[in-house]
Amino acid sequence: MVDPNRCGEVADALAEVATGAASGPDRARVLAHLADCPDCRRELDELTRVADEVLLVAPEHDPPAGFEGAVLARIAALASESPAVPPPSPPPAPATDAEPDAVVTPLRPRRRRRALPYAAAAAIAALGGAGVVWQATSDDRDLAAGYRETLDVANGRYFHAAPIVDDNGEQVGHVFLYQGEPSWVFTVLDDTVDPGTYDVSVVTEDGTQPLAECEVDRTGGGAGSTVDADIYQIERIDLVGPGGTTLAADLSDDD
Amino acid sequence: MSDEALLAGMAAGDADAMAAFVRRHQGRVYGLALSVVGVPAIAEEVAQEAFVRAWRHAGNYDARRAQASTWLLTITRNVAIDVLRVRRELTVEPAVVAEMLISTTNDSDRVADSERITTALRALPREQATAVLLSVHFGLTAREISEQQQIPLGTAKTRIRTGLSRLRAMLEVSHG
Repeated sequence: MVDPNRCGEVADALAEVATGAASGPDRARVLAHLADCPDCRRELDELTRVADEVLLVAPEHDPPAGFEGAVLARIAALASESPAVPPPSPPPAPATDAEPDAVVTPLRPRRRRRALPYAAAAAIAALGGAGVVWQATSDDRDLAAGYRETLDVANGRYFHAAPIVDDNGEQVGHVFLYQGEPSWVFTVLDDTVDPGTYDVSVVTEDGTQPLAECEVDRTGGGAGSTVDADIYQIERIDLVGPGGTTLAADLSDDD
Repeated sequence: MSDEALLAGMAAGDADAMAAFVRRHQGRVYGLALSVVGVPAIAEEVAQEAFVRAWRHAGNYDARRAQASTWLLTITRNVAIDVLRVRRELTVEPAVVAEMLISTTNDSDRVADSERITTALRALPREQATAVLLSVHFGLTAREISEQQQIPLGTAKTRIRTGLSRLRAMLEVSHG
């Protein structure tokens, strides 16, 4: 049963998840509540639709000349990196007199994960030399979008949550896993663990892959990232903290 | 051709569909990007990146959950906020921009389907409308809004939540 008091406790954070502005720990807290609360899932869905409609108020402006051609050129370049589709013909020049309908190159989206953030980071680096940071925040934004897209399928095969426990078997946090494009894993530690940096790793039968560094203060903390492995292949999430503290979420029995 | 059909074409690799989609939405996407980042050259990069992401995720678009235009604008907003979080110098006065967004001086540049939400935002208490716009448009958390507006954190949270709830009620009424 859902504790109705919990709905009130997450109401403010729920609104911020709807607007897309909630912090990572707030998003995780709301998500944990949503798993058991259909009323709040419906509330969030409705508020999200309202928040998205707010974006319509921005006035239109014509982009600079050559914008359309530049977009199509970028996409053609990205599409050409895919081994699954034939290389496209040269993209159109970004000129104002370019004939838009002349572009007939197949532009099939690639399915390799992570490729876009790297390309986007390169583009932004050309603007201000801040590509690495932008990469990090982009992942976080993608995660935020992932949370929202997850809501309709929470408890379905695309979404899963599991407890993180310490050596004594005491629960100290949650891990949330999402199977999609991209797939992602997000860990949240509560305020009972020692503050510091926790190295988060994903364990599959193929080995252990580092996932993220989770910064924890006295109120807890959270961190996550996209993963290349399919979620169902993940057997365990390991977290190694200050002084070698080991925490883990066991996923081997989940299916 | 509908947006949904164009997105289906984009997912299948149809370059003509992509070109038509860009042509149809570029003014709106660039306008949103410009309103967030404020610098034309950076807004152009943001808008380009938004279309690239739309192309990549066209196959995931679900018409039951959102209109194509709001789906695309959400992507655009996310890209723009990514840039803002790195380049703080771009954020001059979000509250001033928020005021301008619902100002009648922009009415000539509005798209027809924005009339309903614009009217609803104007009907809100000004401080609630500003809090909602700062949160939605600029991705500011309640804590950031409380600092920028010099109001208690609880007040900022309440303004966002109450503002959204009232907007929902007004939009439901206007839906009939």
